[in-house]
Amino acid sequence: MTRAFAVTLNALSLYAVALVLAAAFAAQLLLHELPCPLCLLQRIQFAVLAIGPILNVRWGPRPGHYALSLLAAAAGAVFSTRQVLLHIMPGDAGYGTALLGYHYYTLALIGFAAAIVLLAAILLFDRQFEHDDAAKHVAPGAFATTAVWLVIGLTALNVVSTLLECGFGACAEDPVVYELLKRGI
Amino acid sequence: MEFTALFLAVTIVMLIAWRGSRTLALTLFAAVLLASVATYLHHATDTLKLSF
Repeated sequence: MTRAFAVTLNALSLYAVALVLAAAFAAQLLLHELPCPLCLLQRIQFAVLAIGPILNVRWGPRPGHYALSLLAAAAGAVFSTRQVLLHIMPGDAGYGTALLGYHYYTLALIGFAAAIVLLAAILLFDRQFEHDDAAKHVAPGAFATTAVWLVIGLTALNVVSTLLECGFGACAEDPVVYELLKRGI
Repeated sequence: MEFTALFLAVTIVMLIAWRGSRTLALTLFAAVLLASVATYLHHATDTLKLSF
């Protein structure tokens, strides 16, 4: 696997993270389901997962950058497992709407587990880490640049959305209204 | 409020990773990861509302 191909794969992974963040927003806005604190924490971990690929696109693929994403995915898997276990009792309806038969936190757990496997798989290809002067100074193309700004933009939108939802205090355990909009600020 | 701060911190780390210093991005990444784990542990000690 060449450096250029690895960078393209990293850009694709950024589009995948953008898709997850956009789908979470769609559920929030279209179904009017506000994310709970644990749900927000899982969204944050998906955003943190994108930092490794951004570094790979900007500075070239390095094992350390993949390690960052592995740490983020491991933390995200722990957070989503916690929420799955909270709703594992028979008769528990779960939190929020089920998509394709799975609640969002179950899908998040599958997503984080898939990320761990894919990151381990891409680390098997050593040629991407070989340095040569020609590859060192290649600027990221439009495909990768768009992916980076898409993820940054969606994460920034989450700053606004979470501020509206939680306000300046602690987030509600089971939020049903946007705190800042409720107060008319 | 802590979740807004975390999202803001992640956005800043992303911008630094893309435009700024790599070392600073790595350092801030560690800080954000620790902060999110600390937030999780804080909420993990909340009393559970069980329905049985």
